[in-house]
Amino acid sequence: MRNLRRASQLLFLLLFLYLFLQTRQTGQDELGYPVRIFLDFDPLILLTTLLTTHSPARAFWLAGITILLTLLGGRIYCGWFCPLGTLHSLVSRLGRRNKENTWQHLHSLKYFILIILVSSALASMQLTGLLDPIALLIRSLSVSLYPLFNYGGKALFDTLYDWNLPLITDASENLAAALRGNLFAFQPPYFRQGAFTGIFFIVILALNLLEKRFWCRYLCPLGALLGLFSRYAFFRRTVNDACTECRACEPECHGNTSPASRPGWLQSECYWCGNCKDICPGRSVSFGFSGNKTGEAVSLGRRRVVVAALSGVAVVPLLRAMPYKKIPTLEARLIRPPGALAEEEFLERCVKCGECMKVCTTNGLQPTLLEAGFEGIWSPLLVPRLGYCEFHCTLCGQVCPTGAIRPLNQEEKMRTRIGLAFIDRNRCLPWSLGLPCIVCEEVCPTPKKAIWLEERQVTGRDATTAVVQQPVVDPALCIGCGICEASCPIRDQPAIYVTCIGESRAEGNQLLL
Amino acid sequence: MSRRNFLIKTVLTGAALSLPTGLDTLARAVAGTPPPASLVMATGPSAAAVTRAAIGGLGGISRFIAKGDVVVIKPNMSWDRVPEQAGNTNPEVVATVVALCLEAGAKSVTLFDRPVNDPRRCYVQSGIGPAAEKAGGRVEFMNDRRFKKMAIGGMVLKEWPIYRDVVEADKLINIPIAKHHSRARLSMSMKNWMGVLGGDRSTLHQRLDECLVDLAGFIRPTLTVLDAVRVLVANGPQGGDLADVKRLDTVIAGIDQVAIDALGATLFGLQGSDLGYVRLGHQRGLGNMRLDPLHIIKLSV
Repeated sequence: MRNLRRASQLLFLLLFLYLFLQTRQTGQDELGYPVRIFLDFDPLILLTTLLTTHSPARAFWLAGITILLTLLGGRIYCGWFCPLGTLHSLVSRLGRRNKENTWQHLHSLKYFILIILVSSALASMQLTGLLDPIALLIRSLSVSLYPLFNYGGKALFDTLYDWNLPLITDASENLAAALRGNLFAFQPPYFRQGAFTGIFFIVILALNLLEKRFWCRYLCPLGALLGLFSRYAFFRRTVNDACTECRACEPECHGNTSPASRPGWLQSECYWCGNCKDICPGRSVSFGFSGNKTGEAVSLGRRRVVVAALSGVAVVPLLRAMPYKKIPTLEARLIRPPGALAEEEFLERCVKCGECMKVCTTNGLQPTLLEAGFEGIWSPLLVPRLGYCEFHCTLCGQVCPTGAIRPLNQEEKMRTRIGLAFIDRNRCLPWSLGLPCIVCEEVCPTPKKAIWLEERQVTGRDATTAVVQQPVVDPALCIGCGICEASCPIRDQPAIYVTCIGESRAEGNQLLL
Repeated sequence: MSRRNFLIKTVLTGAALSLPTGLDTLARAVAGTPPPASLVMATGPSAAAVTRAAIGGLGGISRFIAKGDVVVIKPNMSWDRVPEQAGNTNPEVVATVVALCLEAGAKSVTLFDRPVNDPRRCYVQSGIGPAAEKAGGRVEFMNDRRFKKMAIGGMVLKEWPIYRDVVEADKLINIPIAKHHSRARLSMSMKNWMGVLGGDRSTLHQRLDECLVDLAGFIRPTLTVLDAVRVLVANGPQGGDLADVKRLDTVIAGIDQVAIDALGATLFGLQGSDLGYVRLGHQRGLGNMRLDPLHIIKLSV
């Protein structure tokens, strides 16, 4: 059973990584792969999105399959399918084997985390993404590990290129060309807070050295949710009377369920890892249909449940009572991706999975820190200097699992404003120095350009005159894509820049009458 | 010009050109034909046929491409635009040149550009990527490592990173599209070399005419094929509005970059001398902007 489980884990981890790599621009309008499918199968995201928005995530029936599976057979998802679970299994192998499981009292921790996430969702705040395993994994890969991988790859190929060795350099260049855009990114991605997100992820992985599958056992809120659903599973583990309570299965158990205890075995923590079955000298363990409900659930204590629920509710005003509630447009550079819903609804949906940042054609979508308040941490914002919004690209809306970014068709995309460009005439070359330039006008993508040129005569220091074209933004046409800001030759502080005013999604943030 | 006449002249011209320098004048005198055209302007409904005719009028592809040549083609595929929007070179024109080169025995035909928009979208949406590959070309994304600082020796551009493959190729073919550009007025063959530059190109706009002439003096293509099948008359160089696109069904082929741009300017109702870089290129002796009707063949196919 163990080998079958391992094969499934490996298969789903590879599928997950493959879809992660497919989350990219190919040149076509449509992505072509169901890259967000692991998020679609995640019932925790479905649940909290239902609570915050009173409407489901985009492909909610898939999460229903996970729930159904758990109702029938318990936390098979954790043991056989979850890609983060598989990573934890792998890292756990680095830790000491056959270590006694001692921290059983920590099981309840993840249930309290779940209760806090759910009760804060009831009070309209979507915090799930911070700790949901799938969102956390995709975000960590997108923002931190994949950039690290690309940085390393680039450094290696750069070095081999510089050495200019016969045969070797040719081979490395051919390899780099073949891997570019599939295993490696088309352009190496860079993200603000990459190290921060990465360290968080590495710490979570390192916990496995303290105890096997630490995250899955004691922290994972999705595991907790599935634990609740697993209570009544009738496909389950049973132990027959041949058991001698030799306890050989105890250190092997992935879930720290006390498998040798009858009663006392924690049914809600069993991932169907099958180790107990395979190790059992008396072959007394079996998995299958059973009406005999022997297992137990973790006891939480009514008082502690109530306290956790109230904490979850109290977290909402704690995190939200900030100045942006008084003036929602306080952060002028909070430029959201095209198709993003109005800010409140956007934050109710966004699970900070980082799919949009991974897929962004120009690497312009970056995680926020506190620009959108604590609740908006790691949600996407466009940093035009790092990457503008590609005029015909609609990928971020295609990959968003919750609809926080609405999928746009080409027509809608071309009309969707995410901000407005302003010219800093004190820095602009034609305005301030009388030098020709017009790069911003050249790159402006709207069919009728949102930047037009006014011809003015300028007089130089030696009284010579010249006519220069000075750019002017037409606020009725500008969509705020930021390609002008990204292309402005004044590199350190561009003379044209975008702020979020005029964005289609916000009634209260308009410039024109 | 009738087809019969054209074919005769083509054959004679080709024959004349295959003679060693110095002898061709003699051959011409014997054949009684005017000197070979420096520019061919072909017009007709099929972009592929027009392209073939234009190159044929110059003496055919074998005048330019020899067996075993490593050929680099520089189309303009700078923008995330579809062919109808005329922001990029017509894919049929490009594919036809690729096919011609391979017919002439080229070892390889490689195409690339350094687009302003995302390269992956530009290559696909321009139609050039799929069309050129179908014709047997290799469409490559530019590799940052292959930009190498080179001594341009220009008036303004002393040195600049340029894509190695452009200089290392046996034969280089420029296939720009003719279109409106607010700074240069028109973007044609000389302007197309911006796409092989590394570094921060946007600063070149400060002295664009000088830079374009410096570049055209450094990068000397074997052949230039100017696509004017569809031209963009406003909101260039990327366009986007079909109302700004004019169908001219024309392709100009030639060697002299200045002359080609001068002839291209006439398609927009301008003269070569209206364009700063053409004027400057002429002054510097890079090419000739004075269009001598005797040196231009106009074909209808």
